[in-house]
Amino acid sequence: MSKKKILVVDDSRTALFMVTTILRKERYELVTASDGEQALEVAAAELPDLILMDVIMPRKTGFEACRELKRREDTKSIPVILVTTRGEGENVEAGFQSGCNDYVTKPINAQELLTKVRDHMGAR
Amino acid sequence: MSESKPARTGHGAYVRKVQEDTQNFAQGLIGEVERLRVLVAALESEKATLAAQAREIETIVRANDVLRAQIEGIKAETKAYSSRYAEVEQQNSNLANLYVASYRLHGTLDREEVIAAIQEIIANLVGSEEAALFEINSDTQALDLLASFGVKRDECPSIPLGGGGLISLTARTGEILVVDPAQLSGATGLESRLTACVPLKLDDKVTGVIAIFGLLPQKGGIEDLDRELFDLLATQAAFALYCTDLHAKVALEAARRW
Repeated sequence: MSKKKILVVDDSRTALFMVTTILRKERYELVTASDGEQALEVAAAELPDLILMDVIMPRKTGFEACRELKRREDTKSIPVILVTTRGEGENVEAGFQSGCNDYVTKPINAQELLTKVRDHMGAR
Repeated sequence: MSESKPARTGHGAYVRKVQEDTQNFAQGLIGEVERLRVLVAALESEKATLAAQAREIETIVRANDVLRAQIEGIKAETKAYSSRYAEVEQQNSNLANLYVASYRLHGTLDREEVIAAIQEIIANLVGSEEAALFEINSDTQALDLLASFGVKRDECPSIPLGGGGLISLTARTGEILVVDPAQLSGATGLESRLTACVPLKLDDKVTGVIAIFGLLPQKGGIEDLDRELFDLLATQAAFALYCTDLHAKVALEAARRW
């Protein structure tokens, strides 16, 4: 069985390193991007099974990139989990309005992240 | 005499009748006794079967009790294992965080990169977007601001080492300080939002302080892992910053020689 592929998008090298450290343990194939614009390019080229994306990023925010991904025919079915620093109502609302499937808040809890990734990956 | 003959005849018939009835009754009794004997034998056999079944049931009940006790034991063991598993997973996750922090701090010799790594560790691993990094200026005996994240630079003036605030106290004691709200009663300005102070230490000598202010709304408070991260930051961040200085000096010296 081929490994499931996850695209991890974050401009912070620490966050990127931390998330990839957590996910690598589960034997996922990981590809990365450091901003929303690059995320769109990598997503189109790699067609990952799931995208885990930070919200606050240069060039294109996570919300903008998510909207674009959900608009495109080839990427619209890929589940997107947004990583947000703010877990309150309006930020979560904005996330779901952009079309994201789920969200996790910082600081990331490894168990929570893995559970959500498995849940959304299971649906594919 | 002629009258007694029929009487005798009647008597004989009567006796015969009694004899027959007695015989029939006796036969009946014998039959009944035989039937009862068979019934008793059948009941005895039934009783033996039931006794055997009762013993079997008793054995099964005992075995059932043993199994039930074993199941309870297994359940308790499973619960203990799953709680232990969760504990180990948490420890793994904590170790991963410490590894990430350590890797990021020592992955570069560029001062700006180290400062960015400190900021990212505080934001992504501790869960605060408001922090300030102070360095001790030995000439002025004050803590000078090196970098600030989420707070304005002018909110963080130089702090005299002998000052009465918690940041200068941390620099003097060299102890990590997780602020108790009661300690903030007299605090003013930025210090009134202080959550924790981490001294930067090289060979037990304090070289600076990381002041962490507000935590992200979803972060309930400082946890055990945060304290471990503070321990790591206290030594490794100081060492990483020291290495960047050393590297810059060596590079400068090398450039001068060439």
